[in-house]
Amino acid sequence: MTRFVDMLVAAVLLAGLYATMAYGLGLIYGVLRVVNLAHGGVIMVGAYLGWVLHERLGIDPYLAIPIVALASFGLGVAMYALLVQRLPRGAAGGPASLLLLFGVWLVLRNIAYLLFTGNDQAIRTAYSTQSRMILGTHVAVSRLVVLGIALAIAVTLQLVLRRTQLGRAIRAVAQNADSCTLVGIDVRRIYMLTFGIGTALAGVAGVLFATIFPFNPASGASELLKSFVVVVLGGLGSITGVAVAALIVALAEVFSIFVLPAYLTTTVGFLLLVVVLVLRPGGLFGQRVLS
Amino acid sequence: MTAPSPLIPRRLVAGFVAGFAILAVLPVGVELSPYAHNLLTSSFIMIAGVLAWNWMGGFVGQVSFGHASLFGVGAFVSARLMLSVHLPVPACWLAGAVCAGVFALAAHPMLRLRGPYFSIATIGFGEISRQVLTYWERFTGGASGLSLPIDAVLKYQLYWWALGFAVLVALASVAIRRSSLGLKLLAIKADADAAADVGISTTFYQDVIFMLSGTVVGLSGGLWASYFGFIEPSDMLGFDRSIAFVLMAVVGGIGTSLGPVLGAVVFVLVRTYLLASYPELYLGLYGLLLICIILFEPLGLTGLGLRVVAAVQRARRRRSREVV
Repeated sequence: MTRFVDMLVAAVLLAGLYATMAYGLGLIYGVLRVVNLAHGGVIMVGAYLGWVLHERLGIDPYLAIPIVALASFGLGVAMYALLVQRLPRGAAGGPASLLLLFGVWLVLRNIAYLLFTGNDQAIRTAYSTQSRMILGTHVAVSRLVVLGIALAIAVTLQLVLRRTQLGRAIRAVAQNADSCTLVGIDVRRIYMLTFGIGTALAGVAGVLFATIFPFNPASGASELLKSFVVVVLGGLGSITGVAVAALIVALAEVFSIFVLPAYLTTTVGFLLLVVVLVLRPGGLFGQRVLS
Repeated sequence: MTAPSPLIPRRLVAGFVAGFAILAVLPVGVELSPYAHNLLTSSFIMIAGVLAWNWMGGFVGQVSFGHASLFGVGAFVSARLMLSVHLPVPACWLAGAVCAGVFALAAHPMLRLRGPYFSIATIGFGEISRQVLTYWERFTGGASGLSLPIDAVLKYQLYWWALGFAVLVALASVAIRRSSLGLKLLAIKADADAAADVGISTTFYQDVIFMLSGTVVGLSGGLWASYFGFIEPSDMLGFDRSIAFVLMAVVGGIGTSLGPVLGAVVFVLVRTYLLASYPELYLGLYGLLLICIILFEPLGLTGLGLRVVAAVQRARRRRSREVV
């Protein structure tokens, strides 16, 4: 029974990270209809940014989050203005945008190799090895903090999308971009800001990731795919849906250890991806993803 | 011939025929260095593979990021048969190809997905195959891989096997493009719903073409395994290899019947050159190439060539008008 509780707690803690990774991908897809294949690359960049700020400047990784968010917001805006915007009309969402953003990912990976070599890195702080007792199990402090930050991000995102002028504009553009131009919303600006916010979220997810797991320039592929599972499972436009989906993915991964050899537990995520895409392309909570 | 084929002028076809003829007698006439022999043979195998990828990714427009799984299945089945059953080598290749083709049918449920959803699902499909095959040590040797019993003579002869295979696949590409099947695929690519409305079973034809594509890619995997004599799952089924198929097709001209040939040749040459000279810039340069092609020339080298031809013709016409 204690083992069961251990695993439940582990899954809940993991779910926070997964949800944070997924918001950026879901937001960009929901508004621009572009699958950001560079998402994994941005997560990797965020991880390295946090690592550099910690190693060189001694900034606590969790306090560095605003800096990383701002930097990856800039990266996203640049990516949109220089590349995504220039895609031929109607190509958004097609293979062209996938390949374009995949190219961006390759470039990001190469830059990371040049700057930091291919070695595994990890952010180690003074409290990395500390733990607290929760529900009778030892829980690493860093994992708790990550869950807390993930919840804060979810609430903030929800408030921004529901209560602010910008959030309303973003949701309006997601529903019907053409009508938005009629009521004076600068659609291109909203696209750019949305892309920026999406990549900023990915960057932040990268920092959170780096405080728990080791990473290297090739990291990000399985994070991208996991984000995609969560987005597809959770459907678009629902922060709560994404959070629940993240929990489902985390639970499936953690508990698959009972039936699968340890090596294959990561396969569960991919399997879930394919099965969900095929059986419920609209996600578990309505809202069709498939156009 | 009623099927339109604006992308392959007759002169180009003659060029390809002449090129293949020269390549066929090349090793007899000239003493090829092992390096050149390697480059040419791997180019041929890759040409066959990417042309088959293009049937799915270009003709139907379903961009697969998981073809490495088919390549790997073909390679490992043929390797396992060579090691354990001692069948004649070509029989092993064929068996591997058939297995890859059947394996491709496992993608059937994914065929109702379109565009990015299909692509993402194939990434998942590829990763699952890679992890399962890596785990299945008794079949694939796990992370330490398999060494194949290939003698030097067969390795030398593989040049012609690969060349002949590439030529056959190229002919098949043109034939498919010009057949009614090719038109049906084109219709599915343009609008799957409209195609279904006029009585084209989108799932059936995608199944057929995915199976054909898988068979050919599996066969090229078998040839590749035999030529290099050593295979391991994380290389043969890796995401990078899946990407290589996409890259070659995009560089050459995605959706054109023979453009991917150019892409494969350029890919093998550039890759070898970059890996030897600038191993640390290899990924990034490919990324930049991909970005530039998507933004400026969606038809890749083929599109570039067509543009040059058009410009030359325009200049010639202008000159003749000036003379008059």
